[in-house]
Formats: sequence, C-alpha cells, structure tokens
Amino acid sequence: MPVEVVRAEQLACSYREGYVLEDVSFTVNAGDYVGIVGPNGSGKSTLVQALLGLVPISSGSARLFGSLCNGFSQWGRVGYLPQSLHLLNPVFPATVAEIVGLGLLSLKRFPRRLTRHDREKVDTTLGDLGIYDIKAKLIGELSGGQQQRALLARALVNDPELLILDEPTAALDPETRERFYRMIGDINRSRGVTVLLVTHDTGVIGQHASKMLYLDKRMLFFGSFDDFCHSPEMSSLFGEHSQHLMCHRH
Amino acid sequence: MKRSMLFVVMSIMAIAVIVLAGCKRRDQGASAKLQVVTTLFPLYDFARTIAGDQAEVTMLLPPGMEPHGFEPKPNDIIRISQAGLFIYTNRYMEPWAETILKGIDRQRLKVVDAGQGVRYVKASAEEGLEDGHGSHDAEGNAGGMDPHIWLDFANAGVMVNNILAGFVASDPAHAPMYRANATTLLARLADLDQRYREGLSSCGTRIFLHGGHYTFGYLARRYGLEYHSLSGISSESEPSAARMAAMVREIRSSGVRYLFAEELLSPRLTETLANEAGVSVLKLYGAHNLGKDDFERGVGFIDLMERNLKNLQKGLACRSK
Amino acid sequence: MNLIEILSYSFIQRALLAGILIAVLCSVLGVFLVLRRLSLIGDGLAHVTFGSTAIALAFKLYSAASLLVSLPVVLLASLGILKLTEKARLSGDAAIGIVSAVGISAGIMLASVGGGYNVDLLSYLFGNILSISPEEVLVAAGLFCVVMVLLGLFFNDLLAITFNEELARVSGVRTKRINAVLVMLTALSVVLAMKLVGIMLISSLLILPAVSALQLARSFKTCIMLAALQGVCSVITGIFVSFLTNLPTSATIVFINLLFFGVSCAVRRLLIPRSAIPSR
Repeated sequence: MPVEVVRAEQLACSYREGYVLEDVSFTVNAGDYVGIVGPNGSGKSTLVQALLGLVPISSGSARLFGSLCNGFSQWGRVGYLPQSLHLLNPVFPATVAEIVGLGLLSLKRFPRRLTRHDREKVDTTLGDLGIYDIKAKLIGELSGGQQQRALLARALVNDPELLILDEPTAALDPETRERFYRMIGDINRSRGVTVLLVTHDTGVIGQHASKMLYLDKRMLFFGSFDDFCHSPEMSSLFGEHSQHLMCHRH
Repeated sequence: MKRSMLFVVMSIMAIAVIVLAGCKRRDQGASAKLQVVTTLFPLYDFARTIAGDQAEVTMLLPPGMEPHGFEPKPNDIIRISQAGLFIYTNRYMEPWAETILKGIDRQRLKVVDAGQGVRYVKASAEEGLEDGHGSHDAEGNAGGMDPHIWLDFANAGVMVNNILAGFVASDPAHAPMYRANATTLLARLADLDQRYREGLSSCGTRIFLHGGHYTFGYLARRYGLEYHSLSGISSESEPSAARMAAMVREIRSSGVRYLFAEELLSPRLTETLANEAGVSVLKLYGAHNLGKDDFERGVGFIDLMERNLKNLQKGLACRSK
Repeated sequence: MNLIEILSYSFIQRALLAGILIAVLCSVLGVFLVLRRLSLIGDGLAHVTFGSTAIALAFKLYSAASLLVSLPVVLLASLGILKLTEKARLSGDAAIGIVSAVGISAGIMLASVGGGYNVDLLSYLFGNILSISPEEVLVAAGLFCVVMVLLGLFFNDLLAITFNEELARVSGVRTKRINAVLVMLTALSVVLAMKLVGIMLISSLLILPAVSALQLARSFKTCIMLAALQGVCSVITGIFVSFLTNLPTSATIVFINLLFFGVSCAVRRLLIPRSAIPSR
C-alpha cells in the first residue's frame, strides 16, 4: 500500500491576469522522484509554491502528508530549495553554517535555539554534500554552484521526507548539473526521500526521475518517463523527433 | 465614475470657498473697526491695550508655540493682507516678516517695526566664562543681536510709542483715545520698572543663571544683574558636554541657590544642571508667547512680569520692602 | 580636563549609562532593519510620535503622560508600515514615507486646529543625551532588557525572515508575527529613546553601526556584535570628544559613527581579498 505524500485535486491558482494554473490533479507517493517540467511561464513554480502554501489557491485543494496546505504545520518533514537565488542579498552577513542551521528551525518549538547537537548535524550535512570547507564562508561570497549546494544543505539538514526543488540547476554548468542530479537521485534512493524537482531540462530529468509531470497552465501529462516517451499527446506536442532526442539521450 | 466623483467634490469645495470668502468680506464690512495683526505676545498685549474697543487685535503665533521657528501659514498671510495695521518686533525676531511684506499690497496696510529706535545689544551667552570659545553660538542667524527687547521696560516704552504712532496713522479719528490708553500703559510700565528697581536692589546675589537659551539679557542689564545662559540665541543649537559642565561649575562657584528656566519650554536641561549642582529650578516668562490657558484667561504682559519679579526675588534672595 | 573630573559629573555618568544601553539596542535592531530595507523606520516613527504628541498635548498630557497616546499610536503606525509593504506591495521606503508624512502633517494640522498649547510642542518632543534623569536611566535599562530578551528569544526566527521570507515560512516561522515583533520593538525603542536622547541620535544609531558592521562581519553573530560595539564606542568617545572640543554631544556622536563607517569601508578594501567580494 503506497503512502501518499502529496495530493492535488483540481488545483487552480490565479493572479489578477487570470489563471496561471488550472485543473491540476495528481498524487505523489513516498519514495517517488517527480520531475515537473514544462515551458517558461507554465506555472511550474506556482505549483510548488501552492503546495507549500506560499501562494493562495483559488480553487481545488492540495495536501501534504494528508493535511491541507494552508493549515500545514509539519514543516520538519519538508525541505525546500527555492528558485529565487538571484534575490539573495550579496552582502548578507551570514555564514553557510548559520544559514544551513536555519533549516533546523522547523523541528523546534519556541524559543528556537540551536544546540551543539544541531551544529554537529549541520556539519554532517555539509560533509555529506562535500561542502564542509565552505562552512565559515559568507553565503553572499560563494559561487552560484556553492550557493546552490549550501541551500540544498539547508533543505536537507532536517532530514525531510519530502524535498521540493525549484529550478535547482539554473545557475550550474552542465557538468555540475549532472553531478547535482545524481546527488538528488542518491538521496532519493538511499534515504527514501520523496523528491519534487522543477526544471525546464526535460531530457536530463527524465534520466533520473521516476515520474514526469508536464505542465502548461494545466496538467498535460503525469506518469512514468517511459509512458512520457511513448505518449502520443507528448509526441504531438514536441514532434516525434524532439521526443526521440529527449528520451534517448544516452 | 471616479472622475465624476472628483468633480462633485471639487465643485463642493469651490462653492464652500466662495461662500466662506463672501462671509468673511461681509464680516469686515459690518465691523468697520481697524484690523490689527501682531506677531508676538508683548506686541499683542500692548496693541490691545492701546486699541481699547476701537480696533480688533489678533496674534499670529498660536498660544504656546516657541516663536524662533515659527513660519506663517497661508491663512496668516491673508490675515495680514486684509488688516489695516501689522506690527512686528524686529528683523532679528521675525526674519520672515520682511519676506511676507514684500508680497503684500501695502497701499492700505500700515507696518510698524516696534523695535525702531531701540538700542540693540549683542547677545553674549558665555561672557565671563572660563572657556568662552563657544561665543560664535550666540551669533548664528540672529546676527548676534538680542531680539528680546521687550524685557527692558524702557524699550517696552519705545515699542508702545511706535505702536501708538501706527494706530494714529491708520485710524486718526480715534487718535485721542489711543493716546490716552497708551499714556496709561506707559505709566504702568514705568511703575513696573520702579518696582523691579526697588525689588532687585538688595539681593543675596546678583548672578542670574539661566539653564536655557539666551533670553533675559536686557532685563539683567537694566537692573545690574550678571546674566549667563546655558546656550546662545538660536533655539536649534545644543549645548556641548563641556558647556554643561562649565555651567555646573559656575552654579557651584557663584553660590546661587536657584537656576532659572523658561516657561513653555521643556525644562529638561535646566533640571539636569540644577540636580547636578544641587540647586532648585524657578520659571521665568520670556513672554514671547503665552500658554493657551493664560491666553484664554486674558493674562497680560505686566502680569507675567510681576510673576517674574516674584521668582527673581526668590531666586536671587532679595529682601522685599 | 582629566577623565576623573569628567566622570565626576553625574549627568555625564547618566549620559554614558543610558547612552550605552540605547546604543546597543538601536545598533542590534538596526542590523535587522537595514537588511530588511527598513532603515528609515526610525525617522518615520519619530514623525508619527510628533503627530501623536500633538494629540496628547491637546488632552493636556505632558511629558511621560503623553506616552499614553503616542505609544499605542506609534505601535499601530509601525504595523501600518508592515501592512503597506505586505498588502499594497510597496517597498519599505515608500511605506515609511507615507506613514511618516501622514504623522507629521497630522501633528501640524492638530497644532493649528487646536489653537495652541500651554507649552511648546517641539521642545517637549526631543530629549538630549545630556539631560537624562535618574528615572530615565531606569527607563532605558527596562527598555534594554525587554528588547534584548525578545531579540534573544526570536533571534533565529528574525535571522530566518531577514535572510529569506519564503524559506522562513517553509521552516515553520510565522513570518507575519516575527515581522510584527521586529517593527513593534523598533516602535517601542523609538518612542522611549527619542524622549531620552533625541531623534537624530536614534535614527543614526539605527543605521550607521549596522552598515559599518556589514562591511566587516564574517558571520551574522559577529555582525550583531560589531554593530553593538560601534554603537557603544561612538557614545563613549562622542561624550568625551564633546567635552574636549565643546561641540554638541549628539551631533558629535553621529560624526564619530560616520568616521567608524569610513574606517570600516577602508578596512574592508584592505583586508578582505578582492576575490572574496562578489562582482556585482
């Protein structure tokens, strides 16, 4: 019996200009690795932000671990890596360790103090991601790839059951990108962490994810990568040649 | 929709302005009395005494407000331009007066510089103090001249005569009455001067220390008191720690038992100095202006000066006769 | 004049004591405010205090009693600034500008409509660091304790929302509540400290130590400590320099802060390798 981690039913989000997301229904089970793909402006980020309660839902419902998103409180089970890295203040005076430590706040009650044990946990997480050496550096002084991994450490430090990543590879060069995907795949397999990963890299994510969710304002496809490759809707959308390239890169 | 609402609101406001303006004009027509606008309280009080019931005297400064930073509002300028007589103290006290007058049609309006003919004295807050290199403080925007001329009652007399001349020129029909009122007022000022002279003749100390801005120089000079204030004339200037300490030493060495503060203004600095030196605080009226309650009770300049005399006699340990 | 003699004046002792307490709490609050782009909130709330003091004087509440009116009004105004940034999506400076303009014009309007007061409004509004009474030292100490304890309890939450609000929410931080805590602590400090040391000192202590610390800090904790250190040093040296040079004390403290800022910028250029500073 699969355990349900994320469930969206007829989910719709709208801004003043109209719907940016409509009629999205899907279920993600524990251990799934879902790639959320689609063109620019297709509502991918809006979808994950709606799941996290960061943008209001206009109709339908979204649940994390069985409870509705707008009243969700079990943040200790979730890790999130946002897209908006460019918003990061380059002179923000906090070290990587301090920022990663903030990821542990979701496990704490008021007053949220960090203990020595917490600091050790931060060190271990940084070590696991191979960035222990930048622990004491200022977050604003890192390269794009280092920042990305530091924020991934922040998302992982509380040992989440669900990891939501929004365009995590945008700032990375192709080689680092590949390593990053492999790392996420590892985390998914070895720790059984459920992963939702937003990307426009349809071809690459297909090699790693167990499921694909194709979005263009509405959900056009949800299923395994194999099905995605053989779906006639997708071939009519991409053209058979592109679909072939995407699906048989390696 | 929004635009039409705006139109309606604007129309209502326009009508209201026209109606109110009309009312004002009619008011003026009904009372043919001379309209007199004054700036500070002493002028207001002198002018209303001279006017009796033959003229309407108003004061620009709202009660309680410190006049050094006062800027007239549009309505004040309208009041001046509709008046027959405008009286101000001097260009040191109301530097804005000349600017306003430039823009006003002076065909009908007569302007009185009440300080004309007064011998001005330089304000020198820190004369005689050991570290007096802060005396540039005292110059500032007032050009170094002390504008508080009304605190010398002989000057107050000069001001009364200047104001009287203004009344006579604007409204010659009532000149005899104005003259009679002015004569009474001058006699009261002379009497006040006499009481000050006697009241302050034999005192325990002649050192008059003020924990605020330079105000009472004329008064002190007239009655032979040695006056020192914490800071210069400009109300924006703040004392330095060194000046505070020097003042404390002066209070201690002079042996005075009271430090004076000015009514209407916050006595914080004075109280700090007094606590430091172990003396008490007494309040004096600079009389630029009046608190709202006193204003509504119709308290006059001479009343304020009588209150001042009492406190001065107490503060300087004078024997009353 | 020697140090012992300067320290023998009790008004100097009180200026140092209350000044240090206020400097620490303003500098620490300032780090959060500057990073949240609310640097000018001190000035804005001071203008609201002006407006609310005009109301208080109209009801004949002077000095301490005027706090009965101005404290709630300024607390509400600080929440208003927050609401404007959240709901109307205004940037912090615009929201502060609106609230500040409304505050000062309300004060001016009330002052003219009310037909005057028994005292001069402006002279009662601003304190001076040299005229702090013994009771006011206690007020400063109480304020210091309240602000520091609350900042301590909410430290990690404040760091989280200052770094990134979305991330903070996903870490279970009640961002609205924490934002409200920050601006209300600021409002409380501005209202009380303004009566003690004047607004010029408050608003400069909210900004300058924080921006200097941002130049040099190698972690958030050191940033907070550097800011507090600069605040304290500027007050102490400011008071002594004012004594030796016969210059107004508050203005001297502001200039010493500016000097520290200049030194911090220079030190950053010299000490921190260029490679470590991201090109923007």
